[in-house]
Parts: sequence; C-alpha cells; structure tokens
Amino acid sequence: MSVATAEARSDASAYEREDLLNGCQAVAQGVRLADVDVIAAYPIRPYTEVMDAISKLIADGAFDAEYIIADSEHSQFEIVKHASSVNARAFGGSSGTGWMYGFEALVVTATDRLPPLFLVGNRALDDPGAFGVEHNDAMAIRDMGWLLAWVTSPQEALEHVLIGYRIAEDKQVRMPMALAMDGAFLTHSQHIVKIPSVAAAKKFLPPYDLGERRLHPDNPISIAPQANEDWVMEIRRQNWEAAKRARGVIQEAYREFNRVFGDRYAAPYYFDEFMTEDAEIVLIGLGTVASPARTAVRRLRERGQKVGYVSLRWFRPFPTVELRECLSRFKAIGVVDRDFAHGSPDNGGILLHEIRSCLYPAKNRPAIVNFIGGLGGRDLSIADAQRMYEITAEAAGRDSLDGFVTWIGLRE
Amino acid sequence: MIKRVEVNYRGIFQKNLGKKIGSDIVMIASRMGQKAFSNGRYSDSPERNGIPCKYFAFVSPDLSEEELEAECGAKLEIDEANISLVLDDTMCKGVEPWGWHGIRPINERVVEDGCLIVFSRKSHDELLKFIGKKPYNYRLAILEGDASLAGLWVNKDDYTHERALGGIAAIDPSLISIEAVESYLLDKTKDPRRAGAARAAYESLRQEAMPPRVRTVTAAEGIDWPHEIPVLPKWFEMQEGAVVPAVKRGFEIGPRGQTRNPGFKRGTTKTQRPAVRFDLCTKCTLCWAECPDECFDPTADGLYDIDYQYCVGCGKCAQVCPVKECIVMVDELRFDDDSSPWEHWKRDPQDYIRWVEQKKGKERVSYPVVTGKGMILSQGETMPEGKIVPVRKTEEVDV
Repeated sequence: MSVATAEARSDASAYEREDLLNGCQAVAQGVRLADVDVIAAYPIRPYTEVMDAISKLIADGAFDAEYIIADSEHSQFEIVKHASSVNARAFGGSSGTGWMYGFEALVVTATDRLPPLFLVGNRALDDPGAFGVEHNDAMAIRDMGWLLAWVTSPQEALEHVLIGYRIAEDKQVRMPMALAMDGAFLTHSQHIVKIPSVAAAKKFLPPYDLGERRLHPDNPISIAPQANEDWVMEIRRQNWEAAKRARGVIQEAYREFNRVFGDRYAAPYYFDEFMTEDAEIVLIGLGTVASPARTAVRRLRERGQKVGYVSLRWFRPFPTVELRECLSRFKAIGVVDRDFAHGSPDNGGILLHEIRSCLYPAKNRPAIVNFIGGLGGRDLSIADAQRMYEITAEAAGRDSLDGFVTWIGLRE
Repeated sequence: MIKRVEVNYRGIFQKNLGKKIGSDIVMIASRMGQKAFSNGRYSDSPERNGIPCKYFAFVSPDLSEEELEAECGAKLEIDEANISLVLDDTMCKGVEPWGWHGIRPINERVVEDGCLIVFSRKSHDELLKFIGKKPYNYRLAILEGDASLAGLWVNKDDYTHERALGGIAAIDPSLISIEAVESYLLDKTKDPRRAGAARAAYESLRQEAMPPRVRTVTAAEGIDWPHEIPVLPKWFEMQEGAVVPAVKRGFEIGPRGQTRNPGFKRGTTKTQRPAVRFDLCTKCTLCWAECPDECFDPTADGLYDIDYQYCVGCGKCAQVCPVKECIVMVDELRFDDDSSPWEHWKRDPQDYIRWVEQKKGKERVSYPVVTGKGMILSQGETMPEGKIVPVRKTEEVDV
C-alpha cells in the first residue's frame, strides 16, 4: 500500500524548499533541475502554462537555456528532435490536436531513437473544440516506440522530469519520453511541492551523452537516410529491443531515485497499489482519477467492503508481467478509461483492451468491466467512483457480462 | 506453367517504354486466352535518371489469376526470367539499382534455356565480353538498334515498343504469338506500319534468319563476375537509430584520392562516359567544379582524373568544358574497364591520344534536354596534339 506523496517518504536533505506549484510549473522546475539545453515552444492550452513558466525562469535568471518559439507544433517537435540529435538535452510538449499536428515529427523522433522529453497536457481532440482532459492525444503514440507515463500530482510531475530523462537517455534505451498529465485537473491545480536541490538532481541525473550517434562535424554520420524494404524490419526490431531493455532501466532508475531522494516510490514502480492487500474488487486507471477512487476506497472500507485501487503510471512499455501478477489476485476489476476506442473489439477504452490482453494468459482471470468517463474534461466524482465499485462488485464471479462497458457521468 | 518476362530499362529515360511493353504483353497474352498481369519493381521508384530499373510481365496458360498473382505478385524482385529484355545494351556491363544491392549481372535471373534479348548494334561476342557466366546454357538474341531514350512521361515513338513485342514472339510464340501481336497492334492503332515493325523484328530473330541473331550461350561463355554482391547486416549488427556512419573523409592528390561510398557506386547508370584529351586541357577546373557526383580527382600536374566507377554519364563536364574536343561523351560499351585515364596518359601520352581518339570515333551523340526529342548525332573531329580551340560548339548534321 503506497501513495507517492512528498510528505510520506523523502530525504529532507535532497529537497531545498517548498513552493506552491501547479503541474505545469512543477514540470518547469523539473526542466530547470534537469539542466535542459534547448526548449522549443508553441502555445496550446493546457500545455501553454509550462512554456510560460519556463520562459519566466529564464527571464528571472534562474535558468539558462536556448528557448525557441516555433511557428507550429510540427516545427517545434522537429527542433526538439534535431537538438536532441546534436547532444542537447531537449524539451517540448503540447496538448490535444496540437500534439497530433506535430505527429510526423513525433514518429521520426522515436525511429531515430532520440531521447527528448515531452509534456502532454492531456486535452480532448477536436471537434468540437474542447479544452478539457481526455487521454486519446497521448495514447496516439502508444505504438510508435515512445516511453509513455502518467503522473497524478505536481510532485510526481516534477520528479518524473528527472526520472524520465534518466530512463530515456540511458544507452540501453534512447527513446523519446512522453510525460502525460491530466489537463486542467493537474496542469492547472496548485499544490505544495518539495523542490529538489540542484546538487541532488545532478547526483541523480547524469549528463546526456548520445555517444557514437551524436551528430557533430567530428562524428560524421547520416541520420535516417532513405531506407527501403531492405532495412525497415531490422530497424523496427531494434526499436522493440530498446523497449524491452527499458523495463530493466526503469526499475534501476526508481531504485536510484529512492537512494538519492529517500524512499519515494514502491516497487514495481510501474503502478501504485492502494489498499489492495486483501481486496477483492479493484479499479484501475490513469492520472487524476486516482483521487476520487482512493477516497471512495477509504469510505467503502469503512463499510467493510474489500476494495482497492491501482493507479497505473507506465503505459509504455506496458508492465505486462507485473500487472498480470497484481490483477490476477482479484475477483473483479473495473478499468477506468478517460479515452475511447471507437469500433474496438470490446467497444470500450484503450486501457481496457490492454488489460484484457495482459490477463488472457493468467491462470486466474478476474471478471473485467469497463468504465468510460470524464471525457472532454467532465469530472469524475467520489460518487461516480463508488458507483463504479458497485458495478464491478456485481460482476465478480460472473462469466459473461452483457453491456460490460458503462459510461459514467453521461446524461441518459 | 508460368512464363516470366523481365524488361530492364533506364530509369526515367525509358520508364514509359518499359511499362508499355510489359502492359502490352499482358493484353496480347490475354487475347490469346491466357492469364497475365504486370508490375514494376516498386523500389525503383522514385527513379533517377539512367538508373537500371525493371518492369515485369507474368503469363500463364493454365493457372488462375489468383494463383498467378500468388506465385509472382507482391514481390519486390522477379524470381527468374524466361525472357529478359534489355532496352539499352550498356546495361550488359551490370546493373546497380540501389545502395547495398551491388553491381549485378544483367542475366542474373535468366533461366536455363531462357533468353536475354538486347537492343544493340554490337555482336554477340562483343556483348559477352561484359556479361557474367551462367552455370547452364541460355540464349542471347540481338534486336538491332539503338537504345530508345526519352523522358519521364513519354517514349520516343521509334517502333522500339513494337519491335520488342515482335522479338519476344519469335523467342517464345506460346507467350505471345506474332499473329496475336499483329492483330493487337492493328486493332489498337489501325496503323499497319506498327504491325510491320513487330513482324520485321520477329523475322530478324527467327532461326532461319540471316545473319543469325539468336545464339546459344554455353556455360563456359561470359566473364567471371568481378563485382561482389553485398550481404545485408542482421538487425543486431546495424547501428541503432537509423544511423549510417559517414564514409570516412579522406583526400589525397591523385587518382581515386577522394574517399567515396563503396556501398553505392552508381557507375552502371551511364550510357556514355566522358573521354578526355589531357593534352588539350587548360586546367580551367570547370569539369571538377561542376561534376554533380564529384568524380574528378585533382592530380599533381593540375589535370583532373576521372573515377568512372562513380560517373553516371550525365555529360555535365562535356557541356561546361570550354575547349573543342577536350571532353567528349562516348558510348560506354566501347570501354573495357574503369581504370584511370590520367595514369594511362602519364604512362604513354602518345598511346593515350591514339587510344582515346579511337574510342571517340567520328560521331558525337547528345541527348537534348528537351523531353522526348531523343538522340542527336553530330560530326566530331580529331584535334592535332596540343591544339587548343576555345570554341567547342558543333553544328548538328545528319551522319
């Protein structure tokens, strides 16, 4: 049982001060502490605030970096990719349709195996124009050779800038990292954040070194020339190998983070379990839905119900083995999707399909139901969470479930 | 049973011609009640000027269309060719379509008792000086004529297309018969001259034709192939991140003093090569500066050697050279190897001048940039040793 909060576990000497920061500002502090060299920016809500916060840090003299305003997300992401190829630690980010607009650059950043970090302030995909959170934007890169993780608090957001660069830049990995964060509910929600010291950040995050792939006149190479059918399968296979190696690197990065900053994260690190020891019914979800879900768990526990919550952090690489071991202990699972997968096998969410696939080889397969909720920034309340636990509990022990996908918060 | 036809053509210059021949084989074979389809080697596109490319046609008298497609379709390269048609005889020196493919023999896919049909004015023996040995007998047929070179969207209407169909009909009447070729061309064009051109080509390749133009090539004939075919690296042997290490930069004065990419030479792109009279050179540097492929190597005496392995025969050097008869484009098949002309010149200047003048001959061939205009012949001349004439434009004349 664990919750990643700075108060719960941390080594005070590794943190220098506290400040009231929202998710974007926390990421900006992470970018400062990671000593990022190049930032490329183009505004779109809710990501915009991170570029505001970084530019203010630079203007205030608190941070020194190349800060480039691009003419579009496509150029922005290309700048980040190119900076990364010349051995500059680079940062970018976007939201919703802006993220999608730069997709060509995002795809090649992965195949070129470069390790910049991007913030995705999750936003619904237009039309209709909507600013609120929905996870489909970040999910779009799930099959493209990226690292993809969700955070649930400004504290985690700050720390995952450091953790993210460390994993992405590791010689065994060298993949781009997307750090996803719920738009509005996290990007614009202020909390007291413990800010690590520069020395501790430096101790944890080694300098970026692209080595033999560094694009430089002293190291003449071509990156991504025209490659026909003779090469592409081998390149894809290499990408898969890097994703496999990332699993070990992720584990090591969290262990090292715990050594430097105190016992902050619990194994297996890919997800956090809450009150699951003796639980029979659990929900699993990504991002800020953790708060109402955990609160619902506490209230239901008071009534003697054996419920728990699993907050999934890492989506790529998907923690298949760890999650299978975890989830096959329960009687029924409710998967909460803040996204949708239209026309998919189960007519449910993306996370549902991943988890059902993950559990297929399990000896003890729990019943699974799915909840589509909070789309377009609609809130998911404690009452909603309690209702999801009730529906999931009804599914326990049943083989087939009619209409096992429930839309939560829909006017009907 | 499947009959496979491969059309080897020069990228861009013969693209339309190659496709037209492949398409009409399908149409004619279909009219004969056979199943057929055609396609191009997809990786040839986007084609570059002169690069060796391929178009294919597949014909079967007994298979269903789906079976024929399953055997021959959705493949990048033909497995084997019963007939391999060559629309430009300079491709007999080998073909290198892409980097890492190596320079391959023109008859690589020809099966036992299959046939290589070449448009050429050369003899069988002259062509076999360049063609690789096969471990079995096959046939070499020559359709007398020049390479028909035009532009991307057009082909020169010089009956090459009709003659190719007639030639194939002579080699394998079960694939397409001459009667079916004639009736198809007449139905399609209402022009008896086209059917006549096909018939004339057919007659020229018949066994009883004089002089005989189809000859059996035995296993002993041809050359030991001098070029290595590269083996592609395995996935874990490749640099990650789609990264290709640069060719190590190096430069020395003298022949082949610049480092160049050994994985893609592109020399088989050329139909002509620049022949140089070093004694007429004013050392103006224009050929060296303008060459798009950096084929010229500076030498200690201020002259420029040429690395023909990398020359694509674009003719830019001959175009910019300000001296009459100093750089002249010459038929590639007149040359046996890619050795350094400058070294020959240094070894024996008199012998070199005699040699290069003999290679140049009297005719100057040029291909105007105007698309589809085709080849232009003009009269060349032999310049006395050391006589520098700074006006090199020649008049167009009929030869």
